[in-house]
Parts: sequence; C-alpha cells; structure tokens
Amino acid sequence: MSQNEAIKMETPQMSQPNESENILLIKGLHKRYNEGKSNEVHALRGIDLEVKKGAMMAIMGPSGCGKTTLLNMIGHLDQNSGGEIHISTIDANKLSDGKMTAFRRDNIGFIFQLFNLFPFLSAVENVETPLLLKGYNSGVAREQAKMLLRDLGMGDRLYHNPLELSGGQQQRVAVARALITDPAIILGDEPTGDLDSTTSAEVMTLFRRINKLNNQTFVLVTHNRWIAEKCDYIVHMIDGKISNVEMGPFEEDK
Amino acid sequence: MGLISSIKIAKRALTRRKTKNFSAILAIALGVTLMVGIQITTDTLENAFLTSLLIREGEVDIRFSNGTGGFLTAADKENISALVTDELAIMPELKSSGPAMIGSQFEPSVSMAGIPFDYDAAFGEFCYWDSGEVMDISTYLTVNTSVLLSSSLAEDMDINKSTELPITLTTEFTINDNVLVGNETVTVGSEVRVNLTIREIFDSRHPGIGASYRGVVFSLEGYQDWISLQDPLRNKDVIGAYLIAYQTDHFTTPIDEALLQERFDALEEILPVKMVNDQEVNVYAIDSARLLYVGIIDLIFTLMSSFLNVLGLLIIITGILLITNVQLMSVEDREFQTGVLRAVGEKRGGIFRSMLFETLFQGVFGGIFGLAGGLIFGQVVALYLVSLFGSGSASVQPIVKESVVIFSVLVGVILGMLTGLLPALRASRVNIVEALRGIKITFEEKSSANFAVIGVLLGIVGIFFLITNGGINKDLQYIWKTSGWDNLLEWENILLGAGFLFSGLGIVFSRYISRTKAFNLTAIVLWGTPVFMFVVAMGNGWITDMSGSSMGILIIAIIEVVIGSVLLVGMNLPYIMRILRNTLIKIRGLKGVAQVAPALISSHKTRSTLTFAIFAVVLTLNVTVASLVATNIDSTIGQSEEDSRGVDLYIQLSAPEYDLPDTSYTNELYKLDSSITDVIGMKTFTPSSTDYTRYVATKDPYDPESGFNPQKNLLPLSFGELRSDQIRGEAQNAADENWRFDFYMFNLPDGVRPSTIDLGASDEELLNQSKTAWDRFFDPDYKMTAYNITFDLENFDISSMGGFSAATLDDVDPILDINGSVVQYPIVFTDSFLLPLGMPIWIAFNTSQFGFPVYQPFTIGGSFDSERAGGWPLSRNMQTEGFSSGSFSGTMGSVYFPERFSNYTDFFGMVDELSPDKREADQFDTFLVKTSYPFDHPGIDTIAQLIEDFTNTRKSGYREIIDDEFMVATATSLYSKLEASLEMMEQMTSFLQIYVNFGLIIGAVGMAVISVRNVAERKREIGMMRAIGFPRYQVMTAALLELMVLGFIGLFIGVVNGLLVNVGFSNMMDVPVVIPWGTIGAYLSFITFIGLLAGAIPGWVASRIPAAEALRYVG
Repeated sequence: MSQNEAIKMETPQMSQPNESENILLIKGLHKRYNEGKSNEVHALRGIDLEVKKGAMMAIMGPSGCGKTTLLNMIGHLDQNSGGEIHISTIDANKLSDGKMTAFRRDNIGFIFQLFNLFPFLSAVENVETPLLLKGYNSGVAREQAKMLLRDLGMGDRLYHNPLELSGGQQQRVAVARALITDPAIILGDEPTGDLDSTTSAEVMTLFRRINKLNNQTFVLVTHNRWIAEKCDYIVHMIDGKISNVEMGPFEEDK
Repeated sequence: MGLISSIKIAKRALTRRKTKNFSAILAIALGVTLMVGIQITTDTLENAFLTSLLIREGEVDIRFSNGTGGFLTAADKENISALVTDELAIMPELKSSGPAMIGSQFEPSVSMAGIPFDYDAAFGEFCYWDSGEVMDISTYLTVNTSVLLSSSLAEDMDINKSTELPITLTTEFTINDNVLVGNETVTVGSEVRVNLTIREIFDSRHPGIGASYRGVVFSLEGYQDWISLQDPLRNKDVIGAYLIAYQTDHFTTPIDEALLQERFDALEEILPVKMVNDQEVNVYAIDSARLLYVGIIDLIFTLMSSFLNVLGLLIIITGILLITNVQLMSVEDREFQTGVLRAVGEKRGGIFRSMLFETLFQGVFGGIFGLAGGLIFGQVVALYLVSLFGSGSASVQPIVKESVVIFSVLVGVILGMLTGLLPALRASRVNIVEALRGIKITFEEKSSANFAVIGVLLGIVGIFFLITNGGINKDLQYIWKTSGWDNLLEWENILLGAGFLFSGLGIVFSRYISRTKAFNLTAIVLWGTPVFMFVVAMGNGWITDMSGSSMGILIIAIIEVVIGSVLLVGMNLPYIMRILRNTLIKIRGLKGVAQVAPALISSHKTRSTLTFAIFAVVLTLNVTVASLVATNIDSTIGQSEEDSRGVDLYIQLSAPEYDLPDTSYTNELYKLDSSITDVIGMKTFTPSSTDYTRYVATKDPYDPESGFNPQKNLLPLSFGELRSDQIRGEAQNAADENWRFDFYMFNLPDGVRPSTIDLGASDEELLNQSKTAWDRFFDPDYKMTAYNITFDLENFDISSMGGFSAATLDDVDPILDINGSVVQYPIVFTDSFLLPLGMPIWIAFNTSQFGFPVYQPFTIGGSFDSERAGGWPLSRNMQTEGFSSGSFSGTMGSVYFPERFSNYTDFFGMVDELSPDKREADQFDTFLVKTSYPFDHPGIDTIAQLIEDFTNTRKSGYREIIDDEFMVATATSLYSKLEASLEMMEQMTSFLQIYVNFGLIIGAVGMAVISVRNVAERKREIGMMRAIGFPRYQVMTAALLELMVLGFIGLFIGVVNGLLVNVGFSNMMDVPVVIPWGTIGAYLSFITFIGLLAGAIPGWVASRIPAAEALRYVG
C-alpha cells in the first residue's frame, strides 16, 4: 500500500455517485449566530437543497440573505445549528474535527473573492500545500502543482509571490489550489467579485472547462447575474430561505 | 493637520488599541524596571557595604591614639579637647584582644573593651539583645570581673536569647607583678586564667555604641585593672584612644564626608609634636575609619557601578529591541489606517508626529509602571543581598532616591521616543496605494542616498580608529606590522575601526548591490574580527601587552560579536528557513507546518530578527558569564590540586603546642588516622594591633637620615619561621629531590632573578627557579642587595596596588652605606603584596645581648606566587582570616625568615628563660598535613573533624594529655578554603546573573507579545489554513514552531558567541575550555518552556477559531 493510499484510508471516502445522483443533499438547514443571546441572528432558516454531481450551480440574493453562510455550511467551515448536510452520502457534521478537516481537504475546494492565497508563499507553494497536507512527497507535490499551474497558463509565474500577480493570475492560482486535490465539489464565494469583466469571463470559462472536463461540481455565490447565468441553474435566496430555483440553460452558446 | 490633531490621533490610537498599546507600555515598563532596578540595587549595595562597615564604628568619627605607641592617659583628654572643635562628644576607650572560652566554645582572639559609664549620649545606647530596650550598663559592670557580651560573639558561641545568665567566660591575662586575683596571689611573669561573669548580652547590631563592640565590654576602670597587670609600674591610668563624635545617629543621618575630611585634615595640621631620636613625631595619631571605609567603598563602587551599568546597558539593548519590535508591529497593524489618513490629506509630518506622541504617552505610562517594577526588583535584589552578604537585614534596605522617580519617567519617555523614531519614520513613509490594498509584504529595496551618506560617515570614523594605530598614536604599531597585533590598545582600535568601517561600507554598498550581500560583508567582519582576536590572537599568544582596558575591549568585542552574528543570521534568514523547510517537510504530519512556519519567519524578517536578537544578546552575555565562571572554577580546582603538592589540611592551634617529654602534637596526629602521611609543624606569630614593638619597620629606625616615623613606617605583618626540613630533607643540597612539598615563587632573589618571571614559562622551569631561590634563603652566607625602594604607608595608593612592579629591579639603585659599599642583608620571603622585591625591612628582635641590633634588617628576596593557588599553603589567600574578619595583619600578609634568626627573637619564644612566650624548638602552632586521600576527597573533612575533636573536647584527647582546657585547634582543608572562594565567586556570578536573567524575562515577554500579535493579525491566514485542510494541531504547531525556531536561533547564537569569547579567555589563561552544559541545558529548557507557554495558548486559541469566522476577519 502506498503512503497516499494509506492516508486515503484514514479519511471518510465518498461513494462515487453517477451523474444522476445527488452529490449534495441539504435538509432543513438552520444557522443561528450568537444563539440564545439578544443579538441572535437567524441566518439560514431551513434550507433544503439537492445538487447533482457535475452540476454548476449559482446562488444569488441580496446582501445578508445567507449566501456565504450557506456556502460555509456546505464547505463545513462552520457548524450548523440544525438540519443535515450530506456530501455524497456522508454527513460531515457527525465527523470529529480531525476527520472533517481531512474530508474537507480531500473533497472540497474553495475559491474566494479575495483569493485568500498565503502572501508569504509563492504561487507553486500555495498550490502544493493541500497535497503536502495529504502527505504527498514534497517533490511529487511540487511537480503536480507546477503541472496544474502550467495547465492554467501560469507556467511563467510559478515562483512569483501572490502580491506580484494580477487579480486574474491570483485567482487562477487560487483555482489551482482548489483543484489540486481533485475535489468533488468546488465552492466559490464571489470568485470574480474582485476581477474586471474580461478577467471574470476568463475565469468563468475556466470553471466551465474544468466542470466539463473533470465532471466536478461547482457551487458559486455571486451578485452578478451575468456570472450566474454561466451556470446550469440559479438558486435565489431571501432572508435565509431559498425563494426560487431558476433552471438553465441561460445562454445560447451553452 | 496640526499639532493638536496629531495629539488627538495619538490619543485615539491609545484608547482604542488597548491591548496593542499594553504590549508597548509593558515593553517600556520592563526597560525602565531594569534601569531603575540597577539604580536602586547599586545604591542599595553601596549602602549595604557602607552600613555594614560603618556599623562597626558606631558613632565614632575620629580616633585619637598615642602617636608613638602605648597608651594615653586621662590628662590627654584636655589636650585633645583643646585641639578638636565643634565636637559633640569625646569618650575614652581601652581596647585589646585575648583568648576566651565560654563553656566548651573557644575563641582565640576575642576583642575586649573598657568604656566609661558616663559616656555621652551622643555615642548612642546599649540595648538588650532579647527585648531591644535600652540598657543601663552601670547596673551590670559593678566589679572588674563583670562583663557584657555582644550578641554577635554570643551567636558565634552558640548562645541564644534564651540562654540563662549569668554565664562564665574564661580568659587569660599576662601578669608582670605579684597580684591578688580573688584570694590567690599570682606571681610575676605568669599567665593567669580568670573567670569573668557575663551579666548581660547587648545587641551589637543595634546602631549606636553597642554596634562598635563585637566582643566583651568591661567598665573602663575594670579593664584598666586587668591591663595594668601587664605593666610593671601597675599604672591604671591607661586609655587606648579618645573617640570623637561630631554628630549622632550616623546610621540614619549620614555625615557630611567632605566636612569630616576637612576637619580631619585641619586636625592633622595642628597635632602637637615631640622629638624622638632627633625626629619630630606627632604626640597623637588620628584616624577615621569612617573616611577610610568611604574611600574604599567609593573605589569599589565606581568600578562595580560602571560594570553593572555597562551590563545593564547591554541588557537594555534587548529591551530596546523588544520595544522597537512592538512599535514596528503597531505600524504594520495600522498601515491601512495610515494609508487612509494619507489619502485624505494628512502629511508625512503629521503621521510622524502622531506616532511620536503615541510613543510619548506610552513612555510616560511605561515609566510609571517601570518605577513600580523597579521598586519591586530592587526589593527582591536587596533581599538576595541579605543572603549574599549576611550583614543583617537592617543594613540592606532598598535605597530609593527622589531622583529615581524622575529618572524612571524620563527613561520611559526617552525609550518610548527613541524606539518610536524608526517606526514613526516607517509609518510616515508608508506607500499609500500598497497600504490601502493591504499589502504587508515589503520587497527589498536599495538604500537611499541619505542612508549612504551615513555609511560614508561611519566609514570615516572607522578609518580614524584604524589609523590611530601607528598614525595618530605613535606608541602603537601600524596594523600591517606584526608587532601591531600584540597589544590590547591596538586591538581596541582594530575592533572599533573594522566595525565602523565595514558598517559604513555595508550601508554604501547596499545602494548599489542587494542589501543581503552588502550587509553580509558587514556582518562577517563585525563578527569575525573579535572572534579572530579571541580564538587566533589570544589562542596563539599573540597578545602579550595587556595594557589597556580589558573590560572595555571585552564589551566592544561582545557588542560586535552580537551585532555581527544577529545581522548575519537576519540577512540570511530566508536561506536558513529554506533549509529548515526542506528538512521538516520530510516529516509526516508536519508537512503543512513546514510549508508555512519557516515562510512566515522569513517573510517578517525584521520582526523575526528583532525577536531572536533579544535572546542572542541576553544569551551571549549569559553563556559568556556562565562559561567563564565554569572555566575559571575548573581551572582553579585543577591548579589548586596540582599546587597543593599533597598538602590537604592545615591546623592552627590557639597557642603553641605543649613541650611534652614523651610525645608531641605531631606524633599524636599521626596516631589519629592511618591516612595521615605527613605532618609538617611550623611556628607563626601575629602581633596584636596594639603591640607596635613587634611591627615591621619599613625604614631603618636607627638611621637619622632615613626619616623614620613610627606613625608611617611600621607595618603590622605576621611572621613565620621556616626550616629547611619543612621544605625538604637536605636544605643545602639543591639536587635533593626529597622535597616535602613544592611551591612557586613570584619574585626571586639576586642570582636567581635575572631570569625574570616569565608567565609563559613551564611549571617545571618556574619550580626549578623557585628551588634555587630556597637555596639562597637557607644559605647562611647569602645576602642580597637592599634596593632603594621607599615605602610609606601614608602614600600607599591602594588603587594601583602601591604602584610596585616588583618582578624587576633593573631601574632601582642599590642602597649604599656611608663608605659607598652596597648594603646587603639576609633575605626573607613574603606573601604580602605590600613588600616589593629588594626592599629592605627591619624586624624588631629584642636580642641585643646577642649582639644583634633590636631591629634586624632583611631584604625581601622573594614572594610566594599567589596566582598558583597560593603556591604556599600558608600564604595570603589561604589564610583563615581575611579583610572581612577585621584582621588587619591577616590582610597585610606575612614575612617568613629562616630558622637561624628565630633563636634571636621572642616571637617564637626562644630568647631567654624569662620570656613569657618561651617555646622550645619543636613547639609548633601550625601544622600542614598530607593524607593519602585525593585533594577534594570528603575523607579529608572527616580527618579535620577528627583532629578538632581530638584537640577541642573537654577532658579528653589532647586536652587530657596536656591537662589544659585552653587549647583549641582549627583544622581547615585546603579544598574547603577553595570552596569558600568558589562559593563567593558563584555568589557574585549569581548576583550578576540577576541582571542578565532579567534580559531573559524581556525575551520571554517579547515572545509572548509576538505570539499574541501573530495570532491576532493572522486570523485570515489561519482561516485559509483551516479551509484548505490544516488540522488544528498543525495550526497550533505552526504558531509554536515559529516561536521556538526564533528562540533556538537566539540560543544558538548566544551559545556559539559565549563559547567563542570563553575560548579566547581560556587560551589566554592557558586553561582548558569548560563548556557549561548544565547552564546551556537550563537555557534550552527555559526557551523551550517559554516558547511552549507563549506559543501554546495563542496557538490553541488560533486553532479553535472557526474557519468561517477567521475568513471574515479584516485586520
């Protein structure tokens, strides 16, 4: 058994759903901040949602409606106050912190509006870090990170510090970091929010390409209707609830 | 925006950033605490020394005694009163010392004093030991056998406050006339033992008159009775001295020393004179122990205070590093706000001012808190001093001068402002765009032109120092001359010159090449020059001329070594961290930590460097002190063992052994334990402080030309008789290998002397020269030229040790007699630093019936090498008595002369049948004992105890053999003497380490502050780490590792630097280097512990932050 196989054994494994299966199943999800206190905020008020494997879904809604909270819940970055979130068949909320961290590392990729790259690491170091956390040999991790960055057109910027890169380049590095562990779901919180329209279009094209190529599921939070319409369907939220689901396709060329 | 708005911004920053300001104020407070602590402890220590010395003088300012020896009389009081003006009181006193036994406890030399009942209240009071209430001594001292006992002697004799009184004290008086003692008539020339009744015990620690007496107090009339027994004329009108007090309560109200000196000088001018041997001599001698002590303490404390201040200054650097670090973090924290301020129109000056105002406020608060901290620190150190010097808590009260309060706030403000300058400058120069974008990583830039100008100026200063050698100072050699590397002064210029020049060059080069490359050059030279001096120059014995300030050079070298090493590591931190990363990344479970922690360290180069620099400075000092002490102790023990030449113990009897027909003390010692292999009996003599007739004269008393003045030319030195058989089997046979023990001479007589003592010579060479010197000593025909070295105690300069350099007599003229012939005398050897080689001395022999003059002249032919563990077991630094015991003669040393002269003096009891000290040739009082045990074997202490038990137990052992309970032996192992000085060395070291370790506290606080700040400002990064899969333990480990790595870098630099300094000194002293593994281990543990403590809590907090919350954080 190789080292990597051994590590995989320790983390919860998802069953491989076929395309018609739900990769994400959310039932009656609630999230309250400052629970029991006078300033309690009920951010999510019973969300029910199903997302099929390989889908590309956008979440839209006004500020404060709970979009990012929902995304954080899906990514298990925060604890829910009620309800269930199943990714494939696993309810990660029932896992210990260590197993949940490993689950997140192996199965979920994050892309943020502000890129959230480590400013003190180079592009390639940022990208290889999740692999190192998985226990990969540093040489192997480095090679895979380089390969991925080259694929994303960042071959000449491998050793640049994030602050030496443009917004679009930084986001590509962030995408590479999200993809490097080959996660089933990629979550994007306003992934193009800090980019100009041309770069935003490039990034969305990149997402779609990856989505099609790897059959990876994308859940993107956005304010931008144009971005949302690049997805397969749009979930609208108001006041912590899903108000409407708009099915695509939205574009002729899709 | 103007001044007011700058103050407002500063005020707002202070009130809104409470935690962050707290760390800055804490840092400043620590710095001030240290400065105030040093100030308070220096003042306290000085006061403690002064008080413990002055307490012995009670309220006495000046003493009048007989100018030509002997006693004063009641009639002298009027004369003295007429001379003294403005005095508060005059009091007669009669003092001497003698043996005393209380129960089975014996003290060979107890001070005894007679004082009048009607002494003036200005001299203070006697107080009861148990209750502390004032005592009326007249109710107790009713007859001449009633005495009071001092509490300090009571403690020495195991008497406590609950011991029932009265108790009996037995002492001895010499009687020169038939006298009725009790009902018994005692005859001429005998010693009589009398029982005195201790009626009460007074507190000799209570300030006042009681503090002056540490033995037994009689009424003046009572003691005059006893002293008169020694006078054939039975004169009872005898006064030892008249005491003058100019004020009372000296303990609480220090006297004006300048005024006292003025009065003393004025009195000296008007002292009446009389003619002695056609010489004018003063009728009265005056002395002021108070002035003498103050002078000595001034000297000691000028040295000590400057040493402590330099040490403190070095540690303050650590404080400055911490404060600067904290301030820089503040600037980083608020770069965004600064950017906004700049964007809305605030000028650079405004930003600069508001930062300075902020640091000013911090300085004031830090100063106030630091004062409080300093007071506590001072109190703690004062308590420690009590245990160290054991002079009573009353004498070690923390001294807080009013000026310290102002000083502390001022230091706080200066520290705040000084350390705020760089951060304020950085804040004012913030790049608005980058600040608003939140870019916190700075990229290496080339230095500015202004900075380069500073570099040029530094370079010029460096060149100035370098060309001082040979150029400005012609006495020194040019740097390119071989002989230019053998002098400490030259090295001082080389160190300073290279340091400044290459610092300047580094700055200038950094304008044209990368800073890392430019400052690597600076760092290598700064570190390399002193290391070269320590390891190569000192290691190969290049430095032969030690003139110059070795302390100054040590400080310069340490500063350069520290700056150089810190700069070198700081500049290369990214490379070092890369190596660390590549090493750690191979460890499973630490790969994520390896990826981020080293990168975090190298990305904040300034902050990281300042953090490990704190430890580097402190630990360099610590390891230097620890390793120097360890090396010194180790070499001292090793050298002592070698130089003891098998002598393990020395025994001193309270009186010469009895002349027994069938046995001797030596024989009895052999019987005690089969491990005793050799006992060497010796005769010694110590004149009492009033026995001027047995002092050494340093000028010819009979030569009217010599200007002999008994007040200035008599020295109270001890004597010893040396026989050839004590040294070796055959005294006249230099080839005889059968030496009983070896020794080293530091100075050698004529004929041996041409081979001037060469410090580089081997022990064997030195030993052979010393053996030849002993040939001269025992040769009855050998006489040595007396050289024209004048010695005057009055002009003796203690700071330059008299200014004698006795190893050579090349520039000194021989003394010629009236016929022009060179005067030559037999030689004596000495262990006294007062007597230089070739100096003639006159020893009083009362043997005129044998044709000798009363004073027999000798020439100092050699001195024992006290650097070699005494070289001679009886020499100065091996004696039981030292300065602290108040024994003047013990301090001055001894003179040893050959046995043939002993027959002509009654020092050793051989003059005539009538001598009260009559001793046979083999009646010894001091014994050197060899055992079969190694030098430091505990069995030697067992033998010492055996000998003391054998001699000191009532009605058994030796006392039973001689039928005398008045004999006491003190057996001391040489190793225990060494232990005492080692203990003292360790105590002084631990005292210094209080200061040095304070730097560790600063380092620990620095770690904690940095750890907390790291977590606070990296919340977002922590969120990212958690999001991409860092387990909690790795988040925590990353925070921990960052701190530990910085701490260990500091430790590594400190250990390497400290050991390199030690290598130099070990090389110089030609002793093996001792690495203080224990101390290094302790520091390693400390840093690990502090790193864990400082990193674990914030790290744990960081690891518990929900990732989603951390990602929302905007710093």
